[in-house]
Amino acid sequence: MIDYEYLKPKDLEEVFSLLKSYGERAVLIAGGTDVMVNIRNKKLAPEALISLRGLEDLAYVKKGEDGYHIGALATHRMLETSSLVQSELSALYDGASQVGSVQIRNVATVGGNICNAAPSADTASPLLALDAVAVLRGPGGSRKVPLTEFFTGPSQTVRASDEVLVEFEIPSEMGQFGSAYHKHSRRKAMDLPILGVAVSLKIEGEIIRDARIALSVAAPTPMRAMEAEAYLKGKKLSDDVLIEAGKIAANEASPRDSLRGKAWYRKEMIETFVPRMAHKALERLKNR
Amino acid sequence: MSEYLYVGKNIPRTAEVDKVTGRAIYINDLKRPGMLYGKIKYSEYAHARIKHIDTSKAKKLPGVRAVITGYDIPDVRVGFLRDQTVLKKDKVRQFRDEVAAVAAISPEIAEEACDLIEVEYEELPGLFDPFEAMKEDAPLIHEVDARGRPIRTNILPLPWKFEAGDIEEGRKASAYIVKDSVETTWVNQCCMGTSGCIAEFDMNNNLTLYNQANVIFWDKRRIMEYFAQIGLKDSKVRIVNPIVGGSFGTKLDTDIYEFIAIQLALKTRRPVKILFTREEEFFALPPRQPAIFEIEQGCDKDGKLTFRWAKAILDNGAYTSWGATTPSVMMMPMSSLYRVPNVYFEAKCVYTNNIYCQAMRGYGNPQATFAVETSMDHLAEEAGIDPAELRLINCNHSGDVTPMRLKITSCGLEECIKGVKEKLDWDKKRGKRNGRGVGMASLIHVAGGARVYKSDGHGMIIKVDEHGHVDVMSGGTDQGQGSPTALAQIIAEALGFRPDDINLVFGDTAFGLWDAGTHASRHTFIAGNAALEACAKVKRQILELAVVELPKLIKHQIKRQKRKDPDFKEPDLDFSLIANPEDLDIRDRIVFSKKDPENPYFRTEVSNILREALHVGTGKSHVVVAEAFYDPPTEMLDREFKGNLSCTYAFGTTGVEVEVDEKTGEVKILQLYAAHDVGKAINPTLIKGQIYGAGYIGVGYGLTEEMKLEKGRVMNPNFLDYKMLTAKDNIPVTPMIIETDEKDGPYGAKGIGEPGLVPTAPAIANAVYDAIGVRINDLPITPEKVLKALKEKRKEK
Repeated sequence: MIDYEYLKPKDLEEVFSLLKSYGERAVLIAGGTDVMVNIRNKKLAPEALISLRGLEDLAYVKKGEDGYHIGALATHRMLETSSLVQSELSALYDGASQVGSVQIRNVATVGGNICNAAPSADTASPLLALDAVAVLRGPGGSRKVPLTEFFTGPSQTVRASDEVLVEFEIPSEMGQFGSAYHKHSRRKAMDLPILGVAVSLKIEGEIIRDARIALSVAAPTPMRAMEAEAYLKGKKLSDDVLIEAGKIAANEASPRDSLRGKAWYRKEMIETFVPRMAHKALERLKNR
Repeated sequence: MSEYLYVGKNIPRTAEVDKVTGRAIYINDLKRPGMLYGKIKYSEYAHARIKHIDTSKAKKLPGVRAVITGYDIPDVRVGFLRDQTVLKKDKVRQFRDEVAAVAAISPEIAEEACDLIEVEYEELPGLFDPFEAMKEDAPLIHEVDARGRPIRTNILPLPWKFEAGDIEEGRKASAYIVKDSVETTWVNQCCMGTSGCIAEFDMNNNLTLYNQANVIFWDKRRIMEYFAQIGLKDSKVRIVNPIVGGSFGTKLDTDIYEFIAIQLALKTRRPVKILFTREEEFFALPPRQPAIFEIEQGCDKDGKLTFRWAKAILDNGAYTSWGATTPSVMMMPMSSLYRVPNVYFEAKCVYTNNIYCQAMRGYGNPQATFAVETSMDHLAEEAGIDPAELRLINCNHSGDVTPMRLKITSCGLEECIKGVKEKLDWDKKRGKRNGRGVGMASLIHVAGGARVYKSDGHGMIIKVDEHGHVDVMSGGTDQGQGSPTALAQIIAEALGFRPDDINLVFGDTAFGLWDAGTHASRHTFIAGNAALEACAKVKRQILELAVVELPKLIKHQIKRQKRKDPDFKEPDLDFSLIANPEDLDIRDRIVFSKKDPENPYFRTEVSNILREALHVGTGKSHVVVAEAFYDPPTEMLDREFKGNLSCTYAFGTTGVEVEVDEKTGEVKILQLYAAHDVGKAINPTLIKGQIYGAGYIGVGYGLTEEMKLEKGRVMNPNFLDYKMLTAKDNIPVTPMIIETDEKDGPYGAKGIGEPGLVPTAPAIANAVYDAIGVRINDLPITPEKVLKALKEKRKEK
């Protein structure tokens, strides 16, 4: 039977002490849109839920001289409605605004989306394509982990059991990139991606100066297509170049056959959407 | 005066305020004193022998009041072919097989107890493909039939074979012939409200079953039959519907969970509720019947159809419910959609270890129409004729008698085809093969009842009290379709009252007269006709009373006025104008003289008449009540499956424009026009609601919805992975209401519950072909299938 204690600490210190006393028997919960589903489906049966909702000061999106800062408790809806995210971190806007429904986005947090570490997380590819760094805090202090090193497997991350993800940092130079994310799904709401593609590009004249390509549901964890990125760097922008990048990215990916989509189809979609998202990112740069 | 006050008007739904404000009492909300909660333990295998069931741990769990297995209840077979027992004790034949059940003081405890029941199985090889199951050496899923006779094949003993004319003659007369293979899969009805019931016995073993049945009198009969076999033949049964959150076919049969609730209630002597979770709704309810067709059609050089030949294989699943009877409805489009002289159709239902199937909106018609209409498009191409033109050449018309002996009365098919064609700008848009395309498909369906039972009747009792309130006791049920509002409009119009005056009581076998149920798009038509009959009787009674009471009221009024005003001059009234009931009429609650309608003395509120007639003080007081039973003048299908089973038939055409992304295989619907011959729209808003809803389900059937089964297990029993479309997918459905004024319909109306769904998927498939030159004859038309087909086409080049 579903039964657990619900604890709502007021600050991080209290979170750490609860994590210490409960250990593996407790689960951190923020918006609850993944945790509660897992409990109901009997994938999780914690003795205690340690809610992070008391840590209200971790819900923010801001830009400083050292870059962009997104609090782990920022909801998807906050990201979706932030003009800063919309204009300068557009891929993240694309990802956050397509999760579930408005009701879900009102409670689901970006920190939760990343810590849940689903291969299909809709903010993972955008954050990867924006060079995001996760800031973890534990009783012993803070450490920063680039998101490329954060995921270790499906539902698995480098976060230690006594740590809390508190923030994402995005370098300020990413503001000069144009970015876009495509969630390839069967429905426009209440769906998970069959495949996700995020592309961010920096351009000088006709030359691609820098590029990031991130993929969801293309491997056991959200991933970067670094070979495709390297291929693009310094190339003159053309349809052929983008199509080639799509092919390279598709080769880097290792999607699987699942109920939601076949591997061959996922690879095709990588090929299709890398160029499409690159175009969208460039379009956005132009219109900025 | 002939203009209608309420018929044809967009009266808002009457009961829906309670629904949208959360006040309506659904089965979820309903609680009875002392009620327990039941849960079912399902099989863990698609096919296995049960070696041992251990319920001891479950029984020890605090809060558990009963644990039952097949060993605790009589070994009685139930279902349409009596091919299953309520709880399975020897063998399980599908994952949804009910092996045990628990009643406890909370649903959580009941669920925990189910988990504590230990069942030991010996797995048997499963059959998941009907073609495998038909092979001679295939293992048998059932060993014996209901009478204990050995069964030698997995093919069900059902005689689905239809023949008319001469197929060989038709072939010879053909200039063009096409042959196609077409496949449709399982889809779930996706009712907003999940299934459930409460079974409650009194101390005399009389049962009240609160459930969602849409044919309450058949439900009662099936339970009475069950009772007769379990030693309760003297028990009475009352079926009561709470508010129902949709049926779409799921509530046509009495489901196993209802028998389980009854057994748990018997065992515990307490009311027991079973309420399905959404997951159970997906894996433990019978979905729409999948079907695989071979279809062949021909036409002469002018495009006139010469013959239609088709064979269908239906994966029946492990047991038999109404899904196995859908071929009787498939025969309708097969034989009667467009004029076709020579027809052959046969269907085989085959036992497998998959989930068994039931009715769903359209009842076999969507599957068969998908086959007929995609094949029509293929034939049009082969013959070099515009597909719309081919349909017009062979269009059904009023006065036709089809090979199935359906008598076509009103028929708006031609108007529907032409209307859709015009709206789509068909001639300009068709045949471009540029990623955009248009397609259409039509339908025929019963729309004036369906004599599938020996009585297709509906009984209605109407009483009018001295306040002018009209209580209507209908034997019908409301599944949320809105017919109570349409009926209130019909009754208000026919009686001369207002829709607000009408209070409909339905869904209760204790109050209603027989009704053959809310199915086959029949309710408004049949109940509407019963209402007209009852209203005529009630009105006559009121007018007979008015002949007596109106003069008295007038005299009182004159007396009063004289008292007030001594100078009042008595009007010169000709009382012969109100001397006979025929001289009077009622409109908008007012009784008046037909010959002198504006005379204020001859006008009074109906309630005044009824009050006077009741409170007479002489021992001769009157109340007004009448009943009517309408059974339409139709025929059962004969042994050859021929006969005019409905008073009238619905026709309609769906036309769509699609855009296909040739890199992703995605199909986007740009426009969808759904033209329907509805006879007469009693309430256009309600009709549009039916067409929108059916259209969306049809688009889901065409593009996204499928229950994915792997070795018998439903792999996507949730709305995340079962892709029902959402509001955000924003399918642009535009209903087009075509009125043909059906002579036998109430105020000219025909049924419209199912039709909107039927032609949607083939219209989409045909539009996809027009867009990219690839035929996807296998539903749903997923991006993967489209992309794969496109790749193959490119390879061929």
